[in-house]
Amino acid sequence: MAMSEALALDRRSRVWALAAAGACLLALLPQLPPAFAAGCIGLAVLTTLASRRRPLPGWVRAALALALVGMVLSMSGFRLGRDTACALLAAMLALKPAELRSLRDARSLVGFALFAPFSTFLLDQGPLSMALGLVGATVALAALAQLSDVEAQAGAAPTPRARLAGVGRLVLLGLPLALAAFWLFPRLGTPLWGVPERAIARPGLSDEMSPGEWLDLMNDDRPALRVSFRGPPPAPSQMYWRGPVLMDYDGRSWTRARDLALLPVPATTPTDARWDYEMVVEPSDRSSLVALELPGAAPAGARLDHDYSLHARAPLTSISRWRLQASPPAAFEAQLPPFLRERALRLPAGYNPRTVALGRQWRREAGPRGDAAIVERAMAMVRAEFGYTLSTPLPGRHSADEFLFEWKQGFCEHFSSAFVILMRAAGIPARVVTGYAGGYRNPFGDYWIVRNQDAHAWAEVWLEGRGWVRADPTAAVAPERIYDTIDDRANAGGFGALPGVAPLFDVGDWLRRGWNDLVLGFDASRQMALLRPLGLGGTGMRGLVALFAACAVLALAWMLWLAARAGRERDPVLAAWHRLGARYARLGLGRAPHEPARQWARRVAEARPADAAALLALSVRFENWRYARSRDAADAQALVRDLRRHRPARNARPESMP
Amino acid sequence: MRALRRRLDARFDAWSRRRSPASLPVRFDRHRIYVLPTRFGLFFGALLLTMGVGALNYNNNPALLLCLLLGGAGLASLLQAQLQLADLEVHAIGAEPVPAGTPAQLRVHVRAPPGRVRRVRRGLRVQCAGASATLSLEAGTGEAGLALPTTVRGWLQPGRVRLSTTRPLGLARAWGYAWPDMPVLVYPAPEADGPPLPAGQGEHQHSRIAPQGDDVHHLREWRRGDSRRAVAWKASARRDALLVREFEQPVAADVVLDWHGLHPLGAEDRIRRLARWVDEAERASRRYRLCLPGKATIGPGQGATHRHACLRALALLPRQERGHGHV
Repeated sequence: MAMSEALALDRRSRVWALAAAGACLLALLPQLPPAFAAGCIGLAVLTTLASRRRPLPGWVRAALALALVGMVLSMSGFRLGRDTACALLAAMLALKPAELRSLRDARSLVGFALFAPFSTFLLDQGPLSMALGLVGATVALAALAQLSDVEAQAGAAPTPRARLAGVGRLVLLGLPLALAAFWLFPRLGTPLWGVPERAIARPGLSDEMSPGEWLDLMNDDRPALRVSFRGPPPAPSQMYWRGPVLMDYDGRSWTRARDLALLPVPATTPTDARWDYEMVVEPSDRSSLVALELPGAAPAGARLDHDYSLHARAPLTSISRWRLQASPPAAFEAQLPPFLRERALRLPAGYNPRTVALGRQWRREAGPRGDAAIVERAMAMVRAEFGYTLSTPLPGRHSADEFLFEWKQGFCEHFSSAFVILMRAAGIPARVVTGYAGGYRNPFGDYWIVRNQDAHAWAEVWLEGRGWVRADPTAAVAPERIYDTIDDRANAGGFGALPGVAPLFDVGDWLRRGWNDLVLGFDASRQMALLRPLGLGGTGMRGLVALFAACAVLALAWMLWLAARAGRERDPVLAAWHRLGARYARLGLGRAPHEPARQWARRVAEARPADAAALLALSVRFENWRYARSRDAADAQALVRDLRRHRPARNARPESMP
Repeated sequence: MRALRRRLDARFDAWSRRRSPASLPVRFDRHRIYVLPTRFGLFFGALLLTMGVGALNYNNNPALLLCLLLGGAGLASLLQAQLQLADLEVHAIGAEPVPAGTPAQLRVHVRAPPGRVRRVRRGLRVQCAGASATLSLEAGTGEAGLALPTTVRGWLQPGRVRLSTTRPLGLARAWGYAWPDMPVLVYPAPEADGPPLPAGQGEHQHSRIAPQGDDVHHLREWRRGDSRRAVAWKASARRDALLVREFEQPVAADVVLDWHGLHPLGAEDRIRRLARWVDEAERASRRYRLCLPGKATIGPGQGATHRHACLRALALLPRQERGHGHV
């Protein structure tokens, strides 16, 4: 064993091991910053070339490893997170070929490389990652097969294609068991330990908003959530998915008031309209959730804040599924406590003097009871003078002033921020609400897709008697940018611009949704739901384990049968002939491998006269088929049938030899 | 540690051994093929376990699927390893006799059960009595040559033949045992230095042809390699062809290799000396006779068959507990 472990690698095995490491690394690279990924590729190529003849000296490897660790850590600002760990893994994997010398090294390289697709899935679960990960794992298994052949000195190696085919067969053999375990192995309802967070957040809704920073989000057309309504959906202009509510402004950015989160949920007066929906949320690595209008109650696993924003108990690192009810309120927190009122009016001193002056002027003109009129006046001004654009200059110190009096163009962040500042200056309690607006209905599967680019920010103003009321200045300017429909999409270019592409996209997303539903979003609760139709709903974990055991045994039996079949004779005539021989072998009259058919039949006939005639006839027919080459398909079929039918006579005792 | 390991091995042998060695052909019974993970297999298992626990904890389904696919493929590879060995047969086994101390070239012929010849069986490891070799089956049959170390004369039972494989992935080793009843003969080791062959005795004087000597026996045609001094120049001139003289060398009568004549020596020393003399007599092309206690005299004779008979008789003499015993 020790001898074979230290075996030097031949060229072919080396190439296989490196290919496995490369394929696994490739799955991880798209999830890393592009410059770093390119660096990893360069490093991998360099170390492979440099260590082609002999491994790099130990001190060079140690120095490189230290340098890489330092680089990765400094890149993430010395915060350890999931992405940092994955970047480290990629860097080490790129460095590992430097010590590839023996069979043992190659095996440890391949085993180590298998962590790369695994960690890819911790960062991303999209189809590209899945496909690349699967390729990486397959090549890694093929490399293991090659290494095992070298260890066993199995002689001539098969072609790479045959090698991959062999591995594919292994994977297929194990597939039923793997799938049974996937769906039926008891899942953890609550995690044993938390998922480490990312050190560098990906773009998405957050507890903070600075006007002008959402550009990457607005250009990201990946889905953020998929929603299916039970019953009629709301009109597109009512599809406001409320996310984090931002109360505090420091002159530059809006932040959520965390200290208010634990206040009791205020009373609302619901209207008659109710929407019942299920929402599948893509992983965002944040705990904030969005909900249509005001959710009736927090679903299990989430908590409802004072401002009716939902927060999951743990960051959403994988696909999650939420069942919610929503209704637009008739009155939302109609009694505003004084300290909240004061908070919703607070503005930092020394920022946006012109906006503040304008707000005060409007208040003087409208009188103390003119809140609604002020809001109306602001909306009218926006509608008349403002435009929508995604290309805005960087804001200076007085961002609201610049937007309201100079550019007069911007997108939702500018509109909502300036609007709220203006309202607060006029003495109307107001706050910024972020979330998504609109959605796209996929005709396949009848569900709605809300994309990252549907991210939106609007305002809520507090009016006497009605409580918090939504005011969306952006929608007043560019409703088509907010309430996404097929027509707008077709006009705006992108996917719908080419005829015939939109349906393809729809079908693609529909498939993706099915995949999310069946595979990615599968968890403990869905697993229990699986038991219900089988009548095992009440048995809980015990029923699940029993079902898993039963399926695993079935899968193993299938595996055994399939694996045993692989080596079996393919020719049906030969197979039937061998089986016939096996039947006589049980009586001690098996055919010796060197024995011709007819000679064997004669030998059996002597011992068992009862079988003589039939067996001799069969053996003659078999010999004719085998050697006279009368390859008539019908003949062969008849022969197979007769061979299968023939049984040694039950009562015939072998006669004692004379 | 090592002693414990050896004891465990011995224990396992005793447990897994059949009651008696079977006559050929012997089969590697499907139900008696053992599969255990290799060290790399354990490493791979630990890796999958880590992945699986992590994936379950994070409820990360692609990661779990990857882990399960790898695990399924690993299990399938165990199955394939087992199936490669299942029902293989050792149908012939044999070795040319060798003197003790030199390795015997044991040839183990293995064949696949009929109807299962298409399965790929390459890189199987055959181990027997401390020797090992690789075996690959082509069209269902294959042969492995093992250099079996020999130490003492007599019958050598190769004991159990262990057939193992770590293919296809190297995660687990499947192995099985067979106990073919096919002993190998080991000749006694000849003495290294010793007195020359005893002079011949007996009435059957005869002679042999030699390139040198006193009496010319006959002339024959020149062949490549003949010494120039042996050429009969006069005769060649007469016949117009190169002729070479050959001489008749009178040789003493049959050599008698007698056990009783080696009185002061111990039994094993006598056997070694006799074995050496047998070889020397054979090399000198002399007829010889072997007299052993309690047995009929072998010979006189000469040639491979006679040599084998003599060495076999020597090899199978009863062994003494101590080297200086008296027969």
